[in-house]
Amino acid sequence: MLQNLGGTPRHKHVYVACLVLHFVLIFLVSWDETLSVIVQGDTILPRSWDSSLRYADAMAAAALGQQLTTLNPVRQGITAYTHLTGIDTGYGFFAPSVSISHKLVFEVRYADGRVEHELPRVGGAATGVRVPLLLDNIARTRSELLRRTMLKMMAFSIWQEHRDASVIRAVFGFVKLPSIADFERGKEESYEFLFAYDFRFSPPAEPLMP
Amino acid sequence: MSSIQRVREWLAGFLFPAESDEWLAVLRVGLGLQVASYTLSSRGDWLELFARRGGGLVNRELTEAILSLQSPLIPRLGWLVFIGSHFGLSEPIILWSAWTCLLCAGFCLLLGFFCRPAAVIAWFLHLCAVKSEDLLSYGMDNFTTIGLFYLMLSPLPDHFALDAHIRRFRPKNPHLLGFFLRVLQLHVCVIYFFGGITKCMGIGWWNGNSIWRALTSPPYNLVSPDVLITCKYLLPFLGIFICTVETGYPFFIWPKETRLIWLTCIIGMHIVIGLTMGLYLFSLITIILNLAAFGPRWFLARPSQFALKKATGDKANESDC
Repeated sequence: MLQNLGGTPRHKHVYVACLVLHFVLIFLVSWDETLSVIVQGDTILPRSWDSSLRYADAMAAAALGQQLTTLNPVRQGITAYTHLTGIDTGYGFFAPSVSISHKLVFEVRYADGRVEHELPRVGGAATGVRVPLLLDNIARTRSELLRRTMLKMMAFSIWQEHRDASVIRAVFGFVKLPSIADFERGKEESYEFLFAYDFRFSPPAEPLMP
Repeated sequence: MSSIQRVREWLAGFLFPAESDEWLAVLRVGLGLQVASYTLSSRGDWLELFARRGGGLVNRELTEAILSLQSPLIPRLGWLVFIGSHFGLSEPIILWSAWTCLLCAGFCLLLGFFCRPAAVIAWFLHLCAVKSEDLLSYGMDNFTTIGLFYLMLSPLPDHFALDAHIRRFRPKNPHLLGFFLRVLQLHVCVIYFFGGITKCMGIGWWNGNSIWRALTSPPYNLVSPDVLITCKYLLPFLGIFICTVETGYPFFIWPKETRLIWLTCIIGMHIVIGLTMGLYLFSLITIILNLAAFGPRWFLARPSQFALKKATGDKANESDC
């Protein structure tokens, strides 16, 4: 079908129908994401528009099947298609404003009272630019269990290099960057604490010798 | 002729214009370069990111479990590991095989060798990798998936591809090439329009604060704030410039008179983003999509002539027979 030569393709209507469906989904996803960031505030739009924007956001989400149960095949089908085609997210990068930078620091605590500090480590710069996205996801997650699990995994990789440590404390916060005016006044970036978790790991037990 | 018929004819002419395959060559070579760059740049972290006991950031199984809640049909590396385990292959072997296949698919696309299988394999493996690290994925991954998805469906190979030289080249339907070019062009327009309109809503893009914050937020702070502060009066203009270029993209990229200006501005913007924020792969994929969608008409003095003539000429020969 893709290769037939000559004038306009034979199955023109099929192509057009696919294009329409595809772009309806692109518009819905983009619209949904644009509205969801707008209703969070911090925009130049008047607050009196909030209820209308929330309603439009809910409509877009409903059209994408987001209000169906997670096991609903329609919802799962739409979700799978958007992921397969790369249209599962909108395009509001750094918009409407640049989000705050989160920071994760691991305090490696030893039994003798020593404390060392470690940052999440990656091998290459290409993965390094992804770390803030992971931290944003950790900050955004509403599940306490999921957040704890993610931090525990990262703490585990730190513990593997400090196996004699008694506690790995994951301290999560955000960096307050100075504005242009503040920077000119000599103000530097500061760190605001959000939450912390303590993790204790123990080496796997040695097998008993007969 | 009724107005409905006129609209239908205009629509058919718009969606199925006769186009050559130069844009497809740009997309193929560009995506080959992007896939190869992505694969090579993630080599150092590949096992840490995807192995069950990688000891890196977040365990693949957790990401895939979250993904399964969204839909079990989304591809992931866990599928390959599961299949491989039935053949007695260990997880690292499967993961490195996937890495090697992805790299080979990237090089095949670059050369135009086995174009269609290479495009399908690149799309699938890249998608598996990206979805298995979904908590760390960003716009660059989505843009690559979008490009590979369109490439995989487009009428491959183009006449620049190695496939076209070592096998008998069958010219593609120029209207079908035009259709897929239109899909890509429309999608790129939607991307910039929504990106631009969302930025316009934020006050920070009008007073330069967002540019300042974007360039000083770690780890994108490659430029020293002391250097940035010297051009602080330029920042509001830069913010407004970005809003204008992005929001105006779908309106000014189509007319011949403004296309070159808009394409130059948008590509320039992405080069600056890449150099000042270290988002090299993000910049590369956006430039590739722009060049494929609107570039060939700009940088080729007489666009579309060779392939179009070849396609229509071959068709005439076929009908003569």
